[in-house]
Amino acid sequence: MKRLSVDPMRCTGCESCVLTCSFEHDDAFSLDRARIRVERDEENGRFSPKVCIQCPERHCVQACPEGALAMDPQSGAIRVDANACSGCRICEKACPYGGIQFAVGVRHPLICDLCGGDPSCVSTCRLPQAICWIDTANEAAGEVT
Amino acid sequence: MSDNTNRREGLRFCIVRVDLSAQKTETTVLPVEETARFLGGRGIAAALLARTLANGKRFDPLSPEAPILFSMGTLSGTNVPMSGRSNITFVSPATGLYCKTNVGGHFGLAARLNGIDVLEIRGAAEKPVVLWCDGGCVEIRPAEHLWGKGVRETTRSLQDELGEDATIACIGPAGENLVKFASVMSSVYNAAARGGGGAVMGSKRLKAIAIARPAGRLLRPADPGALRTACNEMREALYEDSMADSYYTYGTAASVDQMNETHTLPSYNFQRGSVEEIEQLTSQYWNRSGLLKGRIGCASCIYSCHRFIRIDDGPFRGACSGGPEYETVSALGTGTGIASIGALQKANELCNDLGLDTISAGGVIQWAMECAERGVLSPQELEGIDLRFGSEEAVTKLPEWIAHRVGIGDLLAEGTLRASQRVGGDSWKWAVQTRGLEQSRVETRGALGYALAFAMNPRGPDHLHTECIAEFGMTPEMRSLIAEITGDEKYARPDVVEKRPEIVRWHEDIYAVSDALGLCAFTSTAAYGASPERCARLFEAMTGIPITAEGIMHAGRRIVTLERLINLRLGWREDSSAYAPWRLMNERQESLDLDEPILDEARMGGMVREYYRLHGWDEKTGQPLVTALEELELEEFAHFAGDDDA
Repeated sequence: MKRLSVDPMRCTGCESCVLTCSFEHDDAFSLDRARIRVERDEENGRFSPKVCIQCPERHCVQACPEGALAMDPQSGAIRVDANACSGCRICEKACPYGGIQFAVGVRHPLICDLCGGDPSCVSTCRLPQAICWIDTANEAAGEVT
Repeated sequence: MSDNTNRREGLRFCIVRVDLSAQKTETTVLPVEETARFLGGRGIAAALLARTLANGKRFDPLSPEAPILFSMGTLSGTNVPMSGRSNITFVSPATGLYCKTNVGGHFGLAARLNGIDVLEIRGAAEKPVVLWCDGGCVEIRPAEHLWGKGVRETTRSLQDELGEDATIACIGPAGENLVKFASVMSSVYNAAARGGGGAVMGSKRLKAIAIARPAGRLLRPADPGALRTACNEMREALYEDSMADSYYTYGTAASVDQMNETHTLPSYNFQRGSVEEIEQLTSQYWNRSGLLKGRIGCASCIYSCHRFIRIDDGPFRGACSGGPEYETVSALGTGTGIASIGALQKANELCNDLGLDTISAGGVIQWAMECAERGVLSPQELEGIDLRFGSEEAVTKLPEWIAHRVGIGDLLAEGTLRASQRVGGDSWKWAVQTRGLEQSRVETRGALGYALAFAMNPRGPDHLHTECIAEFGMTPEMRSLIAEITGDEKYARPDVVEKRPEIVRWHEDIYAVSDALGLCAFTSTAAYGASPERCARLFEAMTGIPITAEGIMHAGRRIVTLERLINLRLGWREDSSAYAPWRLMNERQESLDLDEPILDEARMGGMVREYYRLHGWDEKTGQPLVTALEELELEEFAHFAGDDDA
């Protein structure tokens, strides 16, 4: 299985990933409708992408009181059942990676769906490689695919 | 997603007009035909400025009547690579001429996603103010508590006040004190540096523009599918460009040591083309010694050429800033004879925080050093400061003195043209400027395309209207572009006059297109992912306005021509002595690899006449002819040319 991996030390804060994410999902550009965000410290040149990394613990699934979140067994992505979601935002607090986003005017959480298997954010980060799409089998060896 | 109310179409260009004297704001939408004619950012600002000049009386650049325009790129706010650049346009207090500056960071992205495409600001507030832009609304707020503060502290205070995610463009003390080369700083370290836009803001007591983190808004292209395809193609082309890895790994200072070896690195106030000790001023050194703490990308940039460097030890321990960029390395480093990265980064940090253009600050400091060495400035005037070339004291003290106009800093704050007029003697000969702007750090004595571009640049002698590095033919992309423009790759050499006018004109057009679309010049004139054809497809997909590659270059030329008209209106006149700084036309740089000097009035005159002929401008006066104006549909501004009371 593959998952997203994030290295804040390599992030340049350009937010190409954020805009690409919103465009892939909404055919329009927005910073808060994306499933990824970038924490910015411009003064010190430090940036940190926040996105679901398909962690094995699945804190969000376990924390959801409505059972609205589930892991897709094939891809590892978290699926959101928008009808079941009450908008309580407990999942957001439960995620230690900051991987769950809420946007103005949208009740349910926005969580990375891996763009169906080819995460578009990764394609915008080829030089810095702050976001990579890695094979969990090779992870111990630190290989980037 | 359900809410259509907050969807904005890519076509709409919203202009917010702010009158600081009347404390009023007003929002209008630009007619679609104007977007089609002037494309966006730079073009629309030029058109708005031209209308002001057409209707109104003359104004001093630092008077309340003078407008300053912040205009975003048509593609800003999207994920199109390097599309986050914004323009700031004004009449320069340094030159009295048209001045377009262009800045990175996240300002354009934040403005565009908030529904603000152009901010046209005029008037002057009684007390310091900040403009707060949130969701398309602009509020004028008091900013007395920020007056006197540096860029970092101003940014921090505004983010504490208005939200930690707010994007800030502001001035430092230099702008407040009307220094002729005060910059406007965006996202802390990105400078709209040239021409004194910071002083224009200072004259209006406008300390900053703060933009809220855009939320709940969607910017929708007219044709998302077409935009996606063109954007992905452009990204691939930029990744594949021979320069891609260099920009990411080493940034703009990648070639400093090579330039030093070939004696094309302006040093000691353009008296020489190299320095003895170069190692610490190279980005290779910063990478290997651990000084490089991070790379910074402007909005949607996939190269991230900007660096963040902190000095870890020595007398300048703790000095940190974005950069230094190549220009700063040469202006404040080799130009002043400084060899240590510590002193250079301290000077760079000071300029960025005080809001000074590093090119002009370095230019005026090295001019003063030469004055001191030649005895034109007396020890009394130097007030105890060591002003010899190589003085770390000078480069790390003078930025403060200039920004606050203390002592000799008050003289230097006026720039090299005015300072040399006051100091007198032969000091004008080593004021490396034309029309009041210090030349950027290119050895134009060995590059005739650049020399022509600098001479024709409406704002003065620099590379940021026409970056024609392709004439050096360093990469396959550059050589093939020269072949495309001139018909033969053999013209990819900078020491011949042949085809320079064609090369310069092509680069001017694409540069205007890039600036209007919000694209970094590196996408079209240094790396080559944004061809005219691709720019046209991106523009059409975003706006829904049909356009061809030829059409978009035609619109680029319309912008370039309008800028010439604006300058004519402002009093620009053809002057062969202003083709290049006196030193570069009259003093040989001995170590340049040339059999004889090539930058002279005869060659320049020939190239300029040919350039005018290609444009359809009068070959003697440089005034656009009626036929050219008709072809570009600029007849409404015809009276700008040949208006003798200008």
